[in-house]
Amino acid sequence: MKRRNFLKGILATSFTLAGAASVLTPLTALAKVGAKNRDDWLTTGSHFGAFKVKRKNGVIDQVKPFDLDKYPTDMINGVKGLVYNPSRIRYPMVRLDFLLKGHKSNTSQRGDFRFVRVTWDQALTLFKQSLDEVQTNYGPSGLHAGQTGWRATGQLHSSTSHMQRAVAMHGNFVKKIGDYSTGAGQTILPYVLGSTEVYAQGTSWPLILDNAKTIVLWGNDPYKNLQVGWNAETHESYEYLAQLKDKVKQGKIRVISIDPVASKTQDYLGCEKIYVNPQTDVALMLAIAYELYTNDLHDKEFIEGYSLGFERFVPYLTGEDDGIVKTAQWAEKITSVPADIIKDLAKTLVADRTQILMGWCIQRQQHGEQPYWMAAVLATMIGQIGLPGGGISYGHHYSSIGVPSSGAAAPGAFPRNLDEGQKPIFDNSDFKGASSTIPVARWIDAILEPGKVIDANGSKVTYPDIKMMIFSGNNPWNHHQDRNRMKQAFHKLECVVSIDINWTATCRFSDIVLPACTTMERNDIDVYGSYANRGLLAMQKMVEPLFDSLSDYEIFTRFARILGKEKEYTRGMTELDWLKKLYGECKKANDGKFAMPEFEQFWQDGYVHFGEGKPWTRHADFRADPEINPLGTPSGMIEIFSRKIERFQYDDCKGHPTWMEKTERSHGGPGSDKHPIWMQSCHPDKRLHSQMCESKEYRQTYTVQDREPVYLNPQDAKKRGIKNGDVVRVFNSRGQLLAGAVISNNFPPGVIRIHEGAWYGPVGDDGSLIGGAKVGALCSYGDPNTLTQDIGSSKLAQACSAYTCLVDYEKFTKKLPPVTSFSGPLEIGA
Amino acid sequence: MSPSAELTREDVASENQGRAIVYNFLSSLFAKELNKDLVAQLTSGQGQDFLSSLALEPTLAASIDKMKTKLTKLNSDESLLELAADFCGLFLVDGRTSVSPYAGQYLNTELSGIEHAKKKSEKVQVFGEFHQQMTEFLNHSNVQVHSDFPEPGDHIAVILAYAAHLCLSASIENQLSFIETYLMTWIGKFTQQVSKHDHDFFYSAVAELTLKWLEIEVADLPKDS
Repeated sequence: MKRRNFLKGILATSFTLAGAASVLTPLTALAKVGAKNRDDWLTTGSHFGAFKVKRKNGVIDQVKPFDLDKYPTDMINGVKGLVYNPSRIRYPMVRLDFLLKGHKSNTSQRGDFRFVRVTWDQALTLFKQSLDEVQTNYGPSGLHAGQTGWRATGQLHSSTSHMQRAVAMHGNFVKKIGDYSTGAGQTILPYVLGSTEVYAQGTSWPLILDNAKTIVLWGNDPYKNLQVGWNAETHESYEYLAQLKDKVKQGKIRVISIDPVASKTQDYLGCEKIYVNPQTDVALMLAIAYELYTNDLHDKEFIEGYSLGFERFVPYLTGEDDGIVKTAQWAEKITSVPADIIKDLAKTLVADRTQILMGWCIQRQQHGEQPYWMAAVLATMIGQIGLPGGGISYGHHYSSIGVPSSGAAAPGAFPRNLDEGQKPIFDNSDFKGASSTIPVARWIDAILEPGKVIDANGSKVTYPDIKMMIFSGNNPWNHHQDRNRMKQAFHKLECVVSIDINWTATCRFSDIVLPACTTMERNDIDVYGSYANRGLLAMQKMVEPLFDSLSDYEIFTRFARILGKEKEYTRGMTELDWLKKLYGECKKANDGKFAMPEFEQFWQDGYVHFGEGKPWTRHADFRADPEINPLGTPSGMIEIFSRKIERFQYDDCKGHPTWMEKTERSHGGPGSDKHPIWMQSCHPDKRLHSQMCESKEYRQTYTVQDREPVYLNPQDAKKRGIKNGDVVRVFNSRGQLLAGAVISNNFPPGVIRIHEGAWYGPVGDDGSLIGGAKVGALCSYGDPNTLTQDIGSSKLAQACSAYTCLVDYEKFTKKLPPVTSFSGPLEIGA
Repeated sequence: MSPSAELTREDVASENQGRAIVYNFLSSLFAKELNKDLVAQLTSGQGQDFLSSLALEPTLAASIDKMKTKLTKLNSDESLLELAADFCGLFLVDGRTSVSPYAGQYLNTELSGIEHAKKKSEKVQVFGEFHQQMTEFLNHSNVQVHSDFPEPGDHIAVILAYAAHLCLSASIENQLSFIETYLMTWIGKFTQQVSKHDHDFFYSAVAELTLKWLEIEVADLPKDS
């Protein structure tokens, strides 16, 4: 060995850095021997499915579908990439300028800037101090902690419950009403059919398959959307779709899909297709109604016995009211559906048993209440509501709705609210004249225009002056509309806190970022089979929380400790105590009906199966006796005309369903001379909203030049000189994005699709990182909400209207900027 | 005649101790942000002597100088926080302006051996094959990653700390083989990235120091015996 004298000098200094991080330590016996059964397959669940996991040296190695899941989604291949993502939030972090200047920080830096690592204690103390400041200076109207979303599955660790319960122990705050998925639908349908319908169990598939002769899929793509569910999915609906495919092939059931695009379901079933211009469904429905009415094909007895207000609707249909007769010829001009097809369709719907299955897309637009209401009117005129295989459903594409429910009681959850008698530290309910609850999609409006009064569902809402927001397991920088408006709003916020697993754009726009662990890193329980409630799943911890992440329960237990309310928060119980309690209560509720073993046995087995459910028909009880079993509408009947809504005197939601022109509409509608293309931003095929977009290896199975695909019509693309695989710039006056061209005959002229949930990653026009902070920046990956319109559906629901969106596109010829969506803060400079 | 014959067994032992100190020192700098206490130690007489001793080696002098310069400027909470933000942006997040501290992000273990450097865009999952390999090494040596340092086994601080451990416990051949295989295969790329993205110059100096140190090691340790 060559002599190295300087080493002697080093030794002579006998210098070691005392108090530096201890990186290595002697191996403990526990780690050496390993936990018992560490190589077994363990069960867990997620929105993507229930599955089993095998580990290797404390790391998840293999993931395979749960035994009872016969139709698993290939999204299961993305699960490991969620857990072991390089963009995991590894430690609690605080934006440096916020750490230095608190609520007086430079908020224009928000979006991408310098963060520092802090300890959990420091982070949670800062969090509490910010809440103190907001409650002291502004009161509860200054804090919005109600913007919540698709938390990871699990009844105990549900992120929304933990965040809201813990923050409620500190003080009151603004909350939301409704959600982005079905905002218009869930507001209008209680007036019409007496319940939200969208989140209700529907007629069982076996009854539909046995009785329906015609199934209408209206803007509905169940084959795509049933891959994910609110609870652990087991994908039983796919068995019924397979049976339906057979029946279509054998000519036993006609399936007619009415849609502006050829859907995945159309391709799978090989069914009939009727193309309709985007956003014009109400005109088509009115023309069908007109055909039924003028040809005396409507079920007068059913209308008489089960509905109210048909006579107030007819003058509108016939044009007596507004001078426009809603004929097939009238509708053809708006919808591009040929008049004779409309006439045929009207006859088909009443020829035999017809089940209408509505999707959710068409209510996510301006006047989104109308197609849902009008579809209910059509179903009433057909007269089969309450019959097996007849009537209307608004949910058969969602969370196993239509799979017969087991009937078992589901487990409870960790409480979202304070226990009885508990009081917040800031026990102040003075919202200073502002509303304590605002429509879910109007929070950016509130931040930008505090004090403004709007109409919403028969009330006046006064926007609170929001200064601080808390997001937990929620990524509004995916699901809200119009990124550039959001940037302006976020500059006005004093403090933003985000709790998540990976660095979403929401985290990058925050001041305090806290790492939650994934479902794989904690113990929990969940229903499997979603709405079918087929059984109970043990969600077993596979690995210890990665890095410095913690479970939601642990995060907010520590937070409650800082508030001096730990015991109030946990009720003195551990994670295991809670699991046993939730399981025990479920067992008790099912006593004598569904056998459930003791908790320890359940945990060892991994699940308890509740068995098959009995087929059931929605609204059958109402049909049997509408007086004994009235609907939840004001009259107890189906309300074709709503006196209540009429009394609101809204110009954009009248007393009966109405066709109204949109602020933006393709195919000759307003704005189409400037931006001729309608952009459909429907739920993704390979993600749950934005969840799993960050899973890189899986993402690469569908991206084009690392960008989110944009699906283009062949003629439109050719006109613009675009080939399959090109990068395309999609733009309108609100924003611009890059996406990868996938040219497909499934998309008609004037229509493109970019799935929502594509992560936001802004860069400058020149591809620079610093340009990404500016309003008008280019999304480098392809987030469609860079382009969508942030307007309410109407004065009734004030719901998200993402589908009222026109764009244009061109081949992108400049130097391709890097994708910046999947990373932590980028330190773009001051 | 083998060059090591020039050194007595005691000489070798003390050289190894000295080398272990250097590895541990480098590991500490990558493990965690500098705080007031660590800066005080590094700017103390003993700390400065230590750095000066290292700077006696000509190829290390430039990096040590840069570090010393920066250390004298770390005299306020704000300057420490700025350096902590550099550390965070470089090593604690993933992004276009960060540098992965994980060996597995640079190397492809699925191909034959581990010599294939990844293309720039091919970042993979953390806690991958390289983490597994390091965990096995650590277990064989009866050590593990400390629970206060919740990072994968292929974090640069772990690999450097393990190199220190080997200095005191393994044959020179095994040490060299470990250094060549688990550090030299990616440290050049790592250092390049740090230089590119470091706002200031402290961590680029630390990375440069690490690279130069390893180069000396590979040059000076006997290839066979």
